[in-house]
Amino acid sequence: MTQVAPRRLDTFTLASEPGNERLALARVASTVKDIGLSDARLERLKTAVAEATMNAIEHGNGNRPEIPVEVAVTQDGDEIIVAITDQGGEVHPEADEQEEPDLIRKLDGDQSPRGWGLFLIRNMVDAMDITTDGQRHTIWLTMRTGGAADDERM
Amino acid sequence: MTSACEATTRTLPGAAVIELSGEVDGSAAAVLTDAYERAVTASPENHDTVVLDFAAVDYINSTGIALIVSVLARARAERRKVVASGLSPHYREIFDITRLSDFIELFPDLDRAVSELTHPAA
Repeated sequence: MTQVAPRRLDTFTLASEPGNERLALARVASTVKDIGLSDARLERLKTAVAEATMNAIEHGNGNRPEIPVEVAVTQDGDEIIVAITDQGGEVHPEADEQEEPDLIRKLDGDQSPRGWGLFLIRNMVDAMDITTDGQRHTIWLTMRTGGAADDERM
Repeated sequence: MTSACEATTRTLPGAAVIELSGEVDGSAAAVLTDAYERAVTASPENHDTVVLDFAAVDYINSTGIALIVSVLARARAERRKVVASGLSPHYREIFDITRLSDFIELFPDLDRAVSELTHPAA
C-alpha cells in the first residue's frame, strides 16, 4: 500500500490581538472547505480553531500584537490537522481552565462562569494534543473527513 | 472594547424578549447585561420569563458562553425562567455539550417560543 505524504495546505501568522481568532477561523474554513468535511464538522473545526487561537493570543502571547500566532493546516490521509503555535512556553497559563467546567457549580457561584475554551475544543475535534519545546507551545487539532460517524452528535 | 453584538428588547405577552445579533463574545458583556436589565424592568408583568433570541447571531465563543451562564445565574437567582430561540444546529450542540440546554429550554424560532409561552400545551 502506497503511503501518501502529509500535504501542507496553508500556513499563516496573526498578530496577537483579541478578535483575530475570527481571521484564523475564516482562513482555515476557506482552506479546508473542499476536502470532504460535512457542514457540521466544519462548524466544529471552526469553533475549535477560534478557541485555540484565542488561547494562544491571550494566554500564550499575552495579547502582545508583536508576537505572532502561527497557524499551519495539513492534510494527512483522511485527517485535517491544524497546528496553532504561540510563545507561551512550558507552562501555559490557561489559569481559568485548570478544572473541568461544571455548569451547576458555575450557576451556584462556586466556579467562574468562564473556562469553557479547552472543554469546547476537546468536544469539537476528533483529537487534541498539546506539545511544547520550552518556548513554543502548540495545540494540534485533528479532524477526520467523511465517515459514518460524521454527524453523530447532531 | 467595541462590541460586535447588538441587542433589542421588546415585550410580548408572557415574556420579555432579547433579540441578539452579531457576535456573542466577551465584548458583549455590557450589551447583554444592559439588555437583560431593560427587558426585565420594562415588562414587570412578564418578567418571569426571558427569551434570548439568537436568530441573527453568527458567532458565539467560550467567553460568550460565559456571559450566557452569568445571565442564567442571575435569572435563576431572581426566579426567572430563561428560554432560547433561533440557535443554529451547531450552537444547539454547544448548548447541549455545556449542559446549558438542561436549564434553558430551546425553541427553533422566536414565534414558536412565544406561542409555547403564551399558549402552553396542556
